[in-house]
Amino acid sequence: MISLKVWQFPKRANLCLSRQYTTKSKRVVLSQDQDKIKNYEPKTTDAHTNRVYVWGFQETGALGLQTNVKKAKERYTEMVHHPTRLQFSNNNEITDVTAGYGFTAYAVKRSDGQTLFGSGLNTDSQLGYQVKGNKKDPANLDVIIYPTAIQLPRLQGETDEDMQVKSMSAGRAHLVVLTQNGTVFTMGNNSYGQCGRSIIEEERYSGSALINRIAQADICGADDELVAVECGQDHTMLLTKLGRVYTCGWGADGQTGQGNYYSAGQITLIGGDIEKERIVRIACASDCVLALNEKGDVFGWGNSEYGQLDDSADAVTQICTPRALQLTKGLGKVKDVAAGGSFCMALNDQGLVYTWGFGILGFGPFVEQTSKPQHLLPPLFGRNDFSNATTVVSIGCGVFHMGAVNSDGDLFMWGKNRFGHLGLGHKKDQFFPFKAAINGKALKVAYGVDHTIALCRPHI
Amino acid sequence: MTLTKVYDAATVFKHLNGIINVYKPAGMKVKHVRNAILSNICKGLNELKQREPRKLPNDMRLLGSGAATDTVLHKIAANSDLSDHILASGPRYLPGDIRCAPVGTLGDHTSGVLLFGLNKGLQQSSLIQRNRPVRIYHVTARMGTATENHLPDSRVTVRANHRHLTPERISGLASSMQASHQRKMYELCGVDLQTQAAYELACKGLLRPADNSQPVIYGIKLIHFNRPHFTLELHTINENEQYMAALIHDMAIELRTVAHCSQLRCIRHAHFDVTESLLRHGWHLPGIMKNLRLQQNVLKAHPQLLDQQRVDLHAAQ
Repeated sequence: MISLKVWQFPKRANLCLSRQYTTKSKRVVLSQDQDKIKNYEPKTTDAHTNRVYVWGFQETGALGLQTNVKKAKERYTEMVHHPTRLQFSNNNEITDVTAGYGFTAYAVKRSDGQTLFGSGLNTDSQLGYQVKGNKKDPANLDVIIYPTAIQLPRLQGETDEDMQVKSMSAGRAHLVVLTQNGTVFTMGNNSYGQCGRSIIEEERYSGSALINRIAQADICGADDELVAVECGQDHTMLLTKLGRVYTCGWGADGQTGQGNYYSAGQITLIGGDIEKERIVRIACASDCVLALNEKGDVFGWGNSEYGQLDDSADAVTQICTPRALQLTKGLGKVKDVAAGGSFCMALNDQGLVYTWGFGILGFGPFVEQTSKPQHLLPPLFGRNDFSNATTVVSIGCGVFHMGAVNSDGDLFMWGKNRFGHLGLGHKKDQFFPFKAAINGKALKVAYGVDHTIALCRPHI
Repeated sequence: MTLTKVYDAATVFKHLNGIINVYKPAGMKVKHVRNAILSNICKGLNELKQREPRKLPNDMRLLGSGAATDTVLHKIAANSDLSDHILASGPRYLPGDIRCAPVGTLGDHTSGVLLFGLNKGLQQSSLIQRNRPVRIYHVTARMGTATENHLPDSRVTVRANHRHLTPERISGLASSMQASHQRKMYELCGVDLQTQAAYELACKGLLRPADNSQPVIYGIKLIHFNRPHFTLELHTINENEQYMAALIHDMAIELRTVAHCSQLRCIRHAHFDVTESLLRHGWHLPGIMKNLRLQQNVLKAHPQLLDQQRVDLHAAQ
């Protein structure tokens, strides 16, 4: 129905169409200097699927960004305020990350057989035994500024495939790694038995080459299988396929859940209310532990000073036996849990994030403490009239800060920000969830005590 | 609602109210799109069944003069007013008879979703515009050359190398720009992030700017990279073509190269999507009537598009 005028030229018989209401676009390419425009050969770079962003306190070397020891000691390098891409992840296929107190471990897929790398504090050999490779290297290897390989001791016949990391977690000064063939490797400080071996008085951990190797069958028997490890500040928890939980380490606040307040180097199956439950997830950043069973019920043990686990008037502040939480009864089916230093978080199947306890809970500057779980409003996590379906898919927290990843892969963070570990570009505390500027979709976020590591997938 | 076939121009005109979603081609002014649509509507209306010419009063017979034509005059049996006949008065519908106004505007180089309010839909169109909904653009940039007005049809001023640029670098910059624009969003509302007021505003979702003076960008994402072009997806309010072109230019300077904006396409205006947009070959009366119905459904599904409550709340939900 556009008006067409057709003129017929009898001689050449060609059609000439003209539209009534358009101006002919003036898109003529200027002939000015056209011949001088260069042709570029696009350089193809090896693109790894995952990339890692790091931010927070850098002086410990946990971020692994520096390559020069001299430069690392310069002023203004102690903090990284904005999420920064880790150079190490450009050259390596990183599959998992975990953050301890001032150090980081990376699970890597490489052709040379190395599967575990680490950077940061190594004062207790939590990153394995590191030797000087070069004369220029500093004599003191307590701080490792760039990710280096951690040699896991192998038995004869163990392949690279067996040594791939299935799950790993780091505590204050120890690192626990579970490999594909079910072997548990623990390294670092064992002063409370957190490495799953008996405590040796006055053991020197610095420069120690000891990596403890525990076979799966020795922990949970032949009919079960380890699936995950989770470390608190100074204790270790192991989760099996049948949903049983085994613990060892510091128990002064009852965080080992063994029914006593002693430290134990012996890995023990714990009971209490979770004895007959099938646990699918454990979360702990410091000394309060939350566990989740497959039906979506929440259990907890450990420190409850701030009423995180029990808010009744006569509640004890330390719970040494796992108990089903009454606090989380009204939340519906819980999908994910996280426990920080003085607060807890839960995510239910509707994508609502509940927080309770003491600290910056995400309800603005005036709310410092709630004993009942309350949910944060969905618009805080990027739901608006253009992304109606956006929900939170995973949550996590460090000792002082919390985070949530939504279905768009955006990471939102809030909490204390003394070391710039919220990645907001400043050191001021953030009182409600605020998007961190990461160039990619967050797959997994490791929350350390003063730094944060995000494993991401690029946008394109 | 049942659909019935209508052959009558007056009935069609009576129902020509609402919002239409038109795909504006690049290089065409909004004014010209409007004229083309109105003339096509009129053309379509004039091709339908028209009303009969008015009747003359019964006593007003044509008078015979006694001349030779009297025989013809006497043969006209009906008492219709010949001055009201189409052949005498011209087409029944002219572009000026239809009221039409665009919701927002698009620059000359921009293509994509353009909304028009027709007749009684003018009220809806002004309500939508006052609500300041977000528009989504796909903006393509060409790296390597900068032009005088940052758009493709002007003179090249500077050339630069762009071999060092990778999609990572560009999307890295885009995400950090997005974060700073989000922070800007709070600053434009005059609140400090560390306050209760900021928390309460954030709970409401996206914050709308208080007036239409300042462009606000909510999201920037790199969606395509094919040297020397890359495409960004922008979610914006109060933007204009020149602002987006300047944004591309500034981004390129930041990336240590130069670029100009080679294509701009609006793919969404509030909930009006480019998939329902009327392409140029569909700018005829049946197409426009169908499009009016479709947009009516969009407005029904999202009544907040017309909700005036939200203007002073600065919030999307």
